[in-house]
Amino acid sequence: MRTFDVVRFSFRSATGFRTRTLLILLAMAIGVGAVIMLTALGEGARLYVTREFTSLGTHLLIVLPGRSETTGGPPPLLGETPRDLTLDDALSLKHSSAIRRVAPIAIGSAPVSWQQRSREVTIMGSTAELFDIRQLSMAQGRFLPAGKPTLQTAVCVLGYKVKNELFGNASPLGKWLRIGGRRFRVIGVLTPKGQSLGTDMGDIAIIPVASAQALFNTSSLFRVIIQASGRDSVARAKKAVLDTIRDRHEGEDDVTVITQDALLSTFDRIFTALTLTVAGIAAISLAVAGILIMNVMMISVSQRTTEIGLMKAIGASGGQVLRLFLSESAVLSAIGALLGVMLALIGTWTSLRLYPDFPVTIPWWSLIAAIGVGMLTGLIFGVLPARRAAGLEPVEALSRR
Amino acid sequence: MIELQGISRKFQVGNEAVHALRSVSLGVKPGGYLAVMGPSGSGKSTLLNIIGLLDRPDQGVYLLDEQNTTDLNDRQQAAVRRHKIGFVFQFFHLVPRLTAAENVELPLILAGFDADERKQRVQNALSALGIADRSRHRPDQLSGGQRQRVAIARATIMRPGIILADEPTGNLDRASGREVIDILENLNKQGMTLIMVTHDPELGRRASRRIQMIDGRIQSDKAQTHEDI
Amino acid sequence: MGFKELLKLSLGAVFSYRMRSFLTALGITVGITAVVLLTSLGEGVHRFVLAEFTQFGTNLIGIAPGKSTTAGISGAIISNIRPMTLDDAEALKRIPAVIASVPVVQGNAPVKFGGRSRRTYIFGVGPEAPSVWQFKVAKGRFLPEDDPRSPRALAVLGSKVQDELFGSRTPLGQRVRIGGERYRVVGVMESKGQMLGFDLDDAVYIPATRALSLFNRESLMEIDLLYAAGASGEEVAKKARNLLISRHGSEDFTITTQEQMLEVLGSVLNILTLAVGAVGGISLLVGGVGILTIMIIAVNERTGEIGLLRAIGAGRRQILAMFIGEAVVLASVGGMAGLAIGTGGAWLLGVAVPALPTHTPWSYVVLAELLAAVIGLAAGVLPAVRAANLDPIEALRAE
Ligand SMILES: Nc1ncnc2c1ncn2[C@@H]1O[C@H](COP(=O)(O)OP(=O)(O)OP(=O)(O)O)[C@@H](O)[C@H]1O
Ligand SMILES: [Mg+2]
Repeated sequence: MRTFDVVRFSFRSATGFRTRTLLILLAMAIGVGAVIMLTALGEGARLYVTREFTSLGTHLLIVLPGRSETTGGPPPLLGETPRDLTLDDALSLKHSSAIRRVAPIAIGSAPVSWQQRSREVTIMGSTAELFDIRQLSMAQGRFLPAGKPTLQTAVCVLGYKVKNELFGNASPLGKWLRIGGRRFRVIGVLTPKGQSLGTDMGDIAIIPVASAQALFNTSSLFRVIIQASGRDSVARAKKAVLDTIRDRHEGEDDVTVITQDALLSTFDRIFTALTLTVAGIAAISLAVAGILIMNVMMISVSQRTTEIGLMKAIGASGGQVLRLFLSESAVLSAIGALLGVMLALIGTWTSLRLYPDFPVTIPWWSLIAAIGVGMLTGLIFGVLPARRAAGLEPVEALSRR
Repeated sequence: MIELQGISRKFQVGNEAVHALRSVSLGVKPGGYLAVMGPSGSGKSTLLNIIGLLDRPDQGVYLLDEQNTTDLNDRQQAAVRRHKIGFVFQFFHLVPRLTAAENVELPLILAGFDADERKQRVQNALSALGIADRSRHRPDQLSGGQRQRVAIARATIMRPGIILADEPTGNLDRASGREVIDILENLNKQGMTLIMVTHDPELGRRASRRIQMIDGRIQSDKAQTHEDI
Repeated sequence: MGFKELLKLSLGAVFSYRMRSFLTALGITVGITAVVLLTSLGEGVHRFVLAEFTQFGTNLIGIAPGKSTTAGISGAIISNIRPMTLDDAEALKRIPAVIASVPVVQGNAPVKFGGRSRRTYIFGVGPEAPSVWQFKVAKGRFLPEDDPRSPRALAVLGSKVQDELFGSRTPLGQRVRIGGERYRVVGVMESKGQMLGFDLDDAVYIPATRALSLFNRESLMEIDLLYAAGASGEEVAKKARNLLISRHGSEDFTITTQEQMLEVLGSVLNILTLAVGAVGGISLLVGGVGILTIMIIAVNERTGEIGLLRAIGAGRRQILAMFIGEAVVLASVGGMAGLAIGTGGAWLLGVAVPALPTHTPWSYVVLAELLAAVIGLAAGVLPAVRAANLDPIEALRAE
């Protein structure tokens, strides 16, 4: 018996009982669709975070003051150290060939006012190099000028929200506004870039780092962002940072260096694990669909007993009957799985329509895995009924009416 | 060439053993026309099932074309049924989901013929039996006589050497029954061995050989003589 | 036809098709098991996290400098222009319902003793910290009530720091070096273990004023208030806000009550539990489709039986009730088995993997069983209506 004929015959039997076939397909489609849709969501979340990370710039390292000795503990994102991470520390890092750019960051918040309007805004002190490192872009004017970072200059760059709040539609370029007690001239406005990992780049004012330190009356930095000269030099850059700081801090290792890659791969692992878990939970429904297939096939075998007897009388061997029934379950689950894929495609398409920013993507492995698991379920749960059919005694099967 | 030697078949029903066949020996030559008669429960169907390899005897030897069939496994038996034997049942046993043509096509599918050849053969068979115009009808859209013709077309589509018919007219009216018998006898004239179970003495008399079964034994085995008519 | 007879008929049908009924119920069983197990896990995690947070006490209010921004950067790292001072902390203590107030400066510095050195978290706090955070002193005592402006150079060690620096020797009375200064150890805290990956024992407590100068800061990072158990957190927060506004001239700080935090945390965790349960519920949906399928097949198969019942005087409603009853029985039995396996599994999981907190709330259990019955009901309606609407003559002919 040819494979094509086996499949065709099973297909005919499946379409012979329309309602039940449709319901089985529905069950299978729900299961497969759910698995694919959930992995697509997980993958979307992963891509979203990855995109956020890379939009921060590439080959980045972040230097934080302080260090935690507990292995596996979180880095000291908060808190202070007796010895500050200073602007000079940051600038000394530039000497390493593994490091391309260095942006020292001082952060604080202060009221920003122009004429009668005032607003509490996050003030970031940095240098011209921040522009390239964070891959910022300007809507108007220009970014902080490249100059000696230790020099205080009374210029500032505004995030677009701050600009809108204070100036409305008027151009702020060249205007003098007040930050804390000091006056700054606006030289540029950032394009809306949206929230990127905690810092809302719209609700911010950027001033030269030395001015910020003077404004907040501190000599310490919040952190230093470093761009390595290439992908391969990230590790070298990290070592250079640790060595340089240790030299400058009298042999103390009192900074923590986080590489973007390490962060990224950590997030990657977490998201992949989460996606797999959720998909696995959803896959339980495939087992339920499998049980349904088994149940209906069992019923089918008992309803079609005489048919099976007849098939044997006209020369079907037990093996052929087994194959017929197995392939019927397989055909059912395969079509169900395909419907599930369709459901998932419709789901992702709709989601992309509604939330274009969230990149819901069906990973190819989930397609293959979901369809594969779906069909496998059909086959596995089809074995029992098929064996029952194959084992029927032809005489008895025929005599039952 | 069918040769049964000392075939016994008993069924266990609870504590009681029912002896459906008791040491039956029988030989049928190719091209023969054998009528099996006897009261209900005498073992006619059991005998036919064993000849058709649907059932296995508990004792005895069954040689089909000099081959000992009791040694064959399930696969081999299925192949023998497929190629050498055609069944016609009292209750037709057509697959209700399939059309007449598809029912006739089944044995060809099982034997692995390709689609073109299958179509050709099915068409020929249906035409030969005068039901070509019904080929796309499902069994429930056919009359009893038409159903039995479809069943005969299915039984003969593989051109088997033997046709086993278990009360083929039992569910038909007189006229349809006649037509079916004519078809079967025609096939017999073309050289197929025909073994037919029947309760109808008139039909039995048409066979060239007639056996009478009682309580699992062959009571009489007569070649047709002129006087009986 | 009374309820008892109905149940008998339904059960009879269920039992006469044993294999089929078993498989149908099994679908629901798997679904309910998944839901119960997953929500038990979710609820367990929920409780675990809440317990972690409330181990510091529940009548807490935290005040941080700087108005919190949408960006979510806490005021602690923003060097605000108006510092939050020890005087603020002292003033807050005068609010009637406030029992204790702890100024907090947190940082990271090496602590040295003899040849050993360890980088650890330094908490600059007031003497009331143990009562506010519900920490216990294991040896010696906590920081004493010195003049907050010029406290003595005393330190209390976390248990891990003690182990690392002193081993089995007693640290009491010894002098450790933190930053440039020498501190006399007056106590060791009891071990508190980890909280969400953060080692609470890897810390050293010193007076807040000394921490400010160690880290060269003007402003505290936080002030934690403990208020009387009966008082309303909101009320206390309001008084603290007014007091600080009058001291600072504007609202340049952020007040968070523990109640708020727990509420937010609780609702986040609830949503999580719900989401996980819903993903498990997909199986239940599929199980429902299973019941629907089997019931439709059953109606088809038993057409003759239905015709007969109608012929001997059964009404449409009774046929309807019979088939719906059968579906509900199937679903409920399956649900019950799922509950048993789910709760048992959750319990086993909790025993086998103690790190994995599980808890099966009884309200969920009842809800899950009800859900199963409702699924049976919903899945039973369509086939039952079909059965009830069969024309008795047609139905009898089908036999
Ligand atoms: N599967 C079985 N289990 C038990 N007993 C059986 C079985 N098949 C047949 N028998 C018994 O074997 C005996 C012979 O049955 P068989 O069907 O061969 O009779 P028959 O001659 O064909 O009768 P009828 O003319 O009524 O068709 C009967 O007594 C019958 O009850
Ligand atoms: Mg018979």
